Parts: sequence; structure tokens; C-alpha cells
Amino acid sequence: MIKAIDLSLQYKDGTFGLNNVNIEIPTGELVFITGPSGSGKTSFVKLILGMEKLTQGELLVLDYKMKSIKDNELIKLRQAIGPIFQDFKLLPGRSVCDNVLVGMRFLDIDKILMYEKALKALEKVGLSHKVHSSVENLSYGEKQRVAIARAIAREPKLIIADEPTGNLDKKNSIIIFDLLKSFKSKDTTVLITTHATHLIKDIDDSLHIQVEDGKMKYQEEIYG
Amino acid sequence: MGKKINNTNYYFKEVYTLIKRDLSSNILSIISLGFVFFIISLVISLGVSSQFMISEISSQAEISIYYSENYDPTYIREELELIEGINKVNLIDSNEANERMKDILGSDRKILELFDHNPFSSYIEVFIELDNLDDIVSVSKNIEGVELVRDNREVLSQLKNILNIITILGVFVFVAISVATVVITAHIIRQGVYMNKDQISTLKLLGAPSYFIYVPFVLNGILMTVLSALSSIILVYLSNNFVYSKIEGVLPFIILPNFVDLMIILVVFNLISGIILGFLGSVLGIKTTNLNKGA
Repeated sequence: MIKAIDLSLQYKDGTFGLNNVNIEIPTGELVFITGPSGSGKTSFVKLILGMEKLTQGELLVLDYKMKSIKDNELIKLRQAIGPIFQDFKLLPGRSVCDNVLVGMRFLDIDKILMYEKALKALEKVGLSHKVHSSVENLSYGEKQRVAIARAIAREPKLIIADEPTGNLDKKNSIIIFDLLKSFKSKDTTVLITTHATHLIKDIDDSLHIQVEDGKMKYQEEIYG
Repeated sequence: MGKKINNTNYYFKEVYTLIKRDLSSNILSIISLGFVFFIISLVISLGVSSQFMISEISSQAEISIYYSENYDPTYIREELELIEGINKVNLIDSNEANERMKDILGSDRKILELFDHNPFSSYIEVFIELDNLDDIVSVSKNIEGVELVRDNREVLSQLKNILNIITILGVFVFVAISVATVVITAHIIRQGVYMNKDQISTLKLLGAPSYFIYVPFVLNGILMTVLSALSSIILVYLSNNFVYSKIEGVLPFIILPNFVDLMIILVVFNLISGIILGFLGSVLGIKTTNLNKGA
């Protein structure tokens, strides 16, 4: 699923985002990548999404070699991923439903099926009653749930949530973590970066990876 | 899996959102491009009218043949009718020639009363194919009894020169204005792309292909130029209407194309050039941003 071999990301100023990382994340896992701000969590996410180019080693994501990935392959890879961001990255001026639909409009799926998937995803995140609301009128927690609905509606093989609770209070954060945990399946890996370790310590059936100064290590494996 | 979704409604909804987000820039661009298309329309009007005039004059090309009074004009007429390229031959006697001049002079016809007798000679009016002018003139001159062959090749030659100048000038103005239109459109589309860079970045992260991301911007550009082109038609309608009324009243001998036909030509031309220039401008605008590079 995701495999890093001697992976390094070095920026132009010489600093390392990630330094000689060797890690393997199997399919169907719920993975938490934890660590303080600036430790390299987001760098790892950016490498997976092809937003940054690795400088050394190799990174395999869903069988794609990120070192030599072509533009059209990157598009295919991203279509197989459901990304969720701290700042939600919703399209302003559009409705909740339009924001969920936009992630599927360019995929090879039937139009009716696309609407069904969008409504089903919104139901899962508890926003069925806000389908036609403008995203500007939602709370932070609701916006994050729209972003999650957009990610899961496409039924991705990999869900990546980068600091999904960064803008949320404790109550909403727990709701979001529980929600994301529920999408883990045999075929779907859920990868979450967070620095809120106190909120995830009790989440079972999950793999925890610690990042510090660009180094990654398996911290603990909790299986219920 | 299924067939690709038809996103036409989505694209137009996005165009509406793009315009709404930057309404003032879009309106100002449509106004300025409207004036640009107005200039194009004026050049086209001038070109079409000149071409029409030349064509009309050419189709009515005639030469006048003066003959010795000792000869029977019917003999000359028969000889003329044998020449290739001659459409019609009329014998004009001196009285008719005098009457025609009175018609041409109009209110100044009193000038003819200063003559004691009719100053005009009889002549033969010959309607010809313009392409055969040289041959007809040389053969006519050799017919027994013919004293003078008068043609209007100098007038036609002058008109053709004027038309050539208008055509060259028109092409030059059209190219210059087309470049200006493409640049203005590219600028506003580039501005739109930058204003929506976060949205574009999000769509890229979701795996949207470039065509899906940029089609609304291209449609926005085309819509802008088409609206400009069509709004310029209102201005050109008013200005052409004014010119026609002035020419028809003061200079009735100037032959103009049918007003409705001219307007139809302008609408079709503006519409097609609006679509093409809008497309080119939008593509240029997108290509010159850094955001379109890479996946």
C-alpha cells in the first residue's frame, strides 16, 4: 500500500523534511502519524499526494513509484485517494452537495450513481439536512465533515487526513476521529496525521507512527 | 464504472460563479472589448461597402463609341455585337444625350441653356464584361467610321486602388485589434485563474484533469468576447444607420450594399471572431500562468 525505502525529502535551504525513512503501511490499516509541528508529518502527506518530489530513496503509493511518477499517473493516483485537510479546502460559493460532487465529476461513474454516492456520504457524516446549504454558512466541525464526505464519496483506496482536527475543539475532534476510524476497511487504508496524541491513545485497531526531526518510527501497535 | 459524466451544466454554473466573483473586471472588459469590436465592425463595413461598390460599377461597365456623322450607326452596332464580351449596345442620339446630362446635372441643368444649340453628339453606348475591356476597345477602334472610344478604366482603376488600400488597411487593423482582444482576454482570464488558485489547487489534489479545471475559464473568455462582439453590433447599427441616411440624402449616386445584408455579415463575422479570439485569449491566459504546469 505505502512503502518508504530510505526516503528523504531535502529542501533547497538544505533542511530535511524527512530523513532516511523506512516504513511500510499495509492495506486496510488505520494509521496515526503523530509528532510535534514541523516534525515532518505534512511533508510525508505531501510526498504521498505528489505535492513534493522526494530527493532520495523511493516511495511506493498504491503501486505507483513516486520518484518517477508521470503527470497522468499522478492524476490517477490522486483519484484513488480521498484527501482531507486541516483548512478543509472546500470550494467557496458552492453548496455542500456541489462540494461533494466535484470530487467525482471527472471519474468514470454514472451520473445517478454519483448523486447517490454524494448523498450517502453526507448521510454518513450526518449532514443530510444541509445538502443545499452554502459551505460559508457551516460551522468548522460541519465544514470538516463536508471535506470528509467529499473524500469518502469517491470510495478511495486511501484516505489521508492531514491534521483534520487542527481547527476543532475537543468534542468535535473526537467526533471526527471516530468518523474517520469507521471508514477503515479491508480495502481502504486510513492515514491520519495529528499532534493531538491525547485524543487517539485509546483508539484501538490502529498503527501509530511517531515522527520527529524527519525520522519516522513505529511507536506502538494497538489491536483490540 | 460507467460512462463519463456530461459536465456541461457544471461548467456553465462555474462560469457564472467565476463572473460573479470578479464581476466588475468582467463588465469593464466586456465594455472595452465592445469598443474594440466596434472598430473592427467599422473597418468591415467600409471594406464590404467598397467591395460592393466596385462590383456594382464593374457589372455596369460601359464604353461610349463616337462615330463620324457620315456613317450609319446601325452598321457599327452590328459590327460591335459580333465582339466577344459585349452584353448590350444602345444607340443614343444627341437629344437623348442632352436629356441624360440634364438628369445628371439636376438643379444645375440651367447651365445647358447657355448653349445656342445641343452641344452633345450622338454616340453608341456599349455594356461590356470588364475583363474584356482592352480587347473590346482595340477591336472597336478598328471598325470603320469609329472616331473615338471612351472608356472609364481610369475611374475603375482608381476605385480598385482605393479598395486595395482599404483591404490592406483593414487586414492590418483587424490583425492589430485581434491581438489586442486576445491580450485583454488573456489578462482577465489570467487574473481569474490567480483569483481562483486555491480552488484550482484543491481540484488538482482531488485528481481533476486539466481540461476539467480549465474549461470554465475558457468558456468565461469566449462568453466575454462574444458578449462584447454582440454589444458592438448595437453601436455599429446606430453608426451605419446614420451614415446610410446621410449618404442616401446627400450623395445618392454612391451605391451602398443593402443595410440588412451588411448587418447580417457583421453579426456573423463578429460572432465567429468573438468565439475564436475568446478561445485564443483564454488559452493564452491559462498557458501564461504558472498554475497550469504539472499535475
